Amino acid sequence: MPQQFSRRELLAGAAGAIAATSLGASLRADTAMPSRKQLMLLFMSGGKSQFETWDPKPGAKTGGPFRAISTSIPGVQIGELLPHCAKIMHRLTVVRSVNSGIADHFQGHYALQSGRIATGYPVLGSAVAKLLERPDDVLPGYVSIRRDGPKAYTDVGDAGFLGAKYEGVRIVNNQPPANLIQPSAVSPALAEAVDRIRQSSDERFRLGREDGPIHGYGTTFHQARALMQRREIFDLSKEAPKDHERYGKHEFGQHCLLARRLLQSGVSCVKVTHFDWDAHQDNFYWHQIRCAEFDRTLVTLLDDLSEHGMLEHTLVVIVGEMGRTPQINNLGGRDHWGRCWSMALAGCGAKPGVVYGSTNDTGTEVKDNPVKLGDLFHTYLRALGIDSRMKYEINGQTNPVADPAAKPIDALLA
Amino acid sequence: MKSRRQTNAVVGLLLMAAMVSARFAEAADEAMPLHQQIDELIGKRLVELKVVPATVSSDAEFVRRVYLDLTGVIPTAKQARAFLDDSAPDKRQRLIDELLASPDHAIHMARVFDVMLIERRIPTITSYDVPAQKWREYLTGAFAENQPWDRMVRDVLSSDGTDERNAAGVKFYLVRDVAPHQLTRDVGRLFLGVDLQCAQCHDDPRIESYRQADYFGIYAFLQRMTAYRDNDKNVSLVGETAVGKTSFVSVFTAKGGETNPRLPGGEMVADPEVEKDKEYVVKPGPKERGVPTYSRRLKLAELLPRATTQGFSRNIVNRLWAMLMGRGLVHPLDLHHAGNPPSHPELLDRLERWLVEHQYDLRALLREMLLSQTYQRSSVLPEGVKELPDEAFAAAPLRGLSPEQLSWSLLQATGRIEQHFSQFAAKQKSDAAKPDDAPPAWTARATQLEPLERQTRPLITVFAGLPGQPDGDFQPVVDQALHLLNSPAMLPLLRDELSNLLKRLTAISEIEPLAEELYLSVLSRRPNADETAQVRELMESKKSPEERREPLTALIWGLLLSSEFRLNH
Repeated sequence: MPQQFSRRELLAGAAGAIAATSLGASLRADTAMPSRKQLMLLFMSGGKSQFETWDPKPGAKTGGPFRAISTSIPGVQIGELLPHCAKIMHRLTVVRSVNSGIADHFQGHYALQSGRIATGYPVLGSAVAKLLERPDDVLPGYVSIRRDGPKAYTDVGDAGFLGAKYEGVRIVNNQPPANLIQPSAVSPALAEAVDRIRQSSDERFRLGREDGPIHGYGTTFHQARALMQRREIFDLSKEAPKDHERYGKHEFGQHCLLARRLLQSGVSCVKVTHFDWDAHQDNFYWHQIRCAEFDRTLVTLLDDLSEHGMLEHTLVVIVGEMGRTPQINNLGGRDHWGRCWSMALAGCGAKPGVVYGSTNDTGTEVKDNPVKLGDLFHTYLRALGIDSRMKYEINGQTNPVADPAAKPIDALLA
Repeated sequence: MKSRRQTNAVVGLLLMAAMVSARFAEAADEAMPLHQQIDELIGKRLVELKVVPATVSSDAEFVRRVYLDLTGVIPTAKQARAFLDDSAPDKRQRLIDELLASPDHAIHMARVFDVMLIERRIPTITSYDVPAQKWREYLTGAFAENQPWDRMVRDVLSSDGTDERNAAGVKFYLVRDVAPHQLTRDVGRLFLGVDLQCAQCHDDPRIESYRQADYFGIYAFLQRMTAYRDNDKNVSLVGETAVGKTSFVSVFTAKGGETNPRLPGGEMVADPEVEKDKEYVVKPGPKERGVPTYSRRLKLAELLPRATTQGFSRNIVNRLWAMLMGRGLVHPLDLHHAGNPPSHPELLDRLERWLVEHQYDLRALLREMLLSQTYQRSSVLPEGVKELPDEAFAAAPLRGLSPEQLSWSLLQATGRIEQHFSQFAAKQKSDAAKPDDAPPAWTARATQLEPLERQTRPLITVFAGLPGQPDGDFQPVVDQALHLLNSPAMLPLLRDELSNLLKRLTAISEIEPLAEELYLSVLSRRPNADETAQVRELMESKKSPEERREPLTALIWGLLLSSEFRLNH
């Protein structure tokens, strides 16, 4: 992957690491605040086209058939497929100069989520779940909502060295996790006895042995109990019919509605995957369909979060794992493209009305302010009030929370 | 990303280590049995690391571990008891030999290699695949015959699905949609231990030895392949064309080149001259599967599985080591390169040469690893030590059971397997036996296991990782705990007529034999005093079978949910 670090960046990273506060202190800093900070990741799976969304090039040979339209920010235009977003552009933060250099779903998805190339690091949802955790939390810190389907690269990433507790809970097709209800044949007394026997067995087994795997396994049973007790947080029938209507009665709309409900219930981080942006054929047809869902639902969601007083403490990240090629192939599709693409932010900690970076006339190269996925990762954490230079201390091992060779982009931060 | 752990070695231990060091001063003597050489080379490094290893495993640790590693399932209570009560000094070696020769070992190896080579993939068109059962049978047969690894790889790579002898091997290609880029990556990862993925688009900036030309050298062997569907016969096959050059351009430097087929570190293989118009045995067409006169793919099958191919022997040695020891000598398994050196280079080299000298006899290599003290250590750390570095192989690691091991062990612990076979035996007695055309033992065994195999699948789905990704380190997640607590499949497994543990335990009224039968069945060991006391506390006042049912269920279930059951230790 083209992740060449300048000497200056390396030095800056190293200095930052030394200056960083310890994780423990910073973690406690937030707990006194009335509302916890939260993250919502809207993941455009497959990679949406920057040309048809945030960075239109009407008239260029790479530009495709759609027009650009004016927005609520004078002089800034976006693709005509996003008319609702255009009206609230002053509330969004858009980056047009992402250069990840990765044109592969798996790698792009991992690098986007972890802010690194090297494997084994926690993904954003897991990291935020850990970093924003409070001592009295019972719900899982990270939930991922998606539809059913074989596209494995869009699935929950893993918690890496943070361990099982921070692994995302998967919600497929808005169904609550399977097996949340105890079978009626199991009496509470039996369930209690089973758990007692399990725990006492673990207490004996851990004597003299490495604790990590034993502790990690035990944690999943505590999480299971907590989820069983509060399973109504997955019950969308408790939301008003007009909200179902407003969010849109399609998959993405309903998934966003559930995401809002989960955030309201106190889950730190929710990821919603919006599928089918990988338009190797009929790119323009597909983007019409995808953008129609995305555009209206996103604006509804932001309005709704705002009305509930949640947006000020909820960062919304809108991003895919890559962009799409300037070249239009002979099936009317755009292929994978990592060199030059766009993403957006809104809400907590993001500076509204910013359009950062730009690309050349044909959209083939970044013209100024190139942004790497590692930089975005730092930026997400900073927007959530987390010092991205700090380090995890886990099992006696120290690891920087974000890639020390990358840095937050101040211009995007409020 | 596992932590580098620290030891609290005290001065006394260091002194001991220094004494051991003198013994290991010389390199392993190659005349010694391989398992002794393994221990010497591991021991030498322990001294350098100043790490004192764990003691030898107890018989109970050993019997459970070796059954799991060789047959993929915990022993029955009867098997565990027989081993624990055996006083012969060579009982470990005898058990190893007995298990290695058993049909269950071949069946288990087929499961392990199925997951390793297929990585739980499904092709885009699900029906265009070799059925899982056919592929498993093919692998089981190969392991039952203890086919040399080079031959097994050659049979898979050369399969086009037409020759009955190795037709199932074409699955390797079909589950990857016969897509040359995916195949290039996986041939590199799975057979050579190198992941050249990044080198597809440019020389890998992180790994100096992964060059774009290497990637395209393998790609050139595979790029002429085509998928072929014969709807009349309902089979999917692979064909090949006789044309297609391989060129590449770096996305960084815009420099590129053209390449003929070439294995990493090897020579380019020029296509032989073929007379014009004689390029094909069968010319590809809408209804014809292309068969070229000269096949690059068959050339790959011929050249790759050889001792001279860089990484070929090392890769399989490292994978078998990881299967038994919890991590590779090179780790991750598909990242062999200069920047990620093996933890024990001399040992890896020795194992590699030994395997070549022994004509790729995997069973013999496994046997030597199993006989080593390194394999047979306890997972209990030495007194006063909290953690040991994983890469020292100083204690038995705590490994999660694979989804397959876990499923089968649940069936074993609850007595479902035993019950199944006793019903089977009863039925067979009534049927007239046909000794003349008796199939090999493993086919009979596999056929008998088939109904149980189906029962393992739902649980495997919950516990398996992502398709196309190797099964990684132990990462338990909450859906798995929810499954074990609340799945409608769990309670019947504990109480159903088809299992026999609850019935067996209900029939034992004395506390001590009851606790022993319970612990031997679920955890393959006898209970200690605390554990017997816990059983007594729950069971003592319960006399009628109805009263006993609930606390016994709790005991079985609670132990099935324990870390001790979930881990191979």
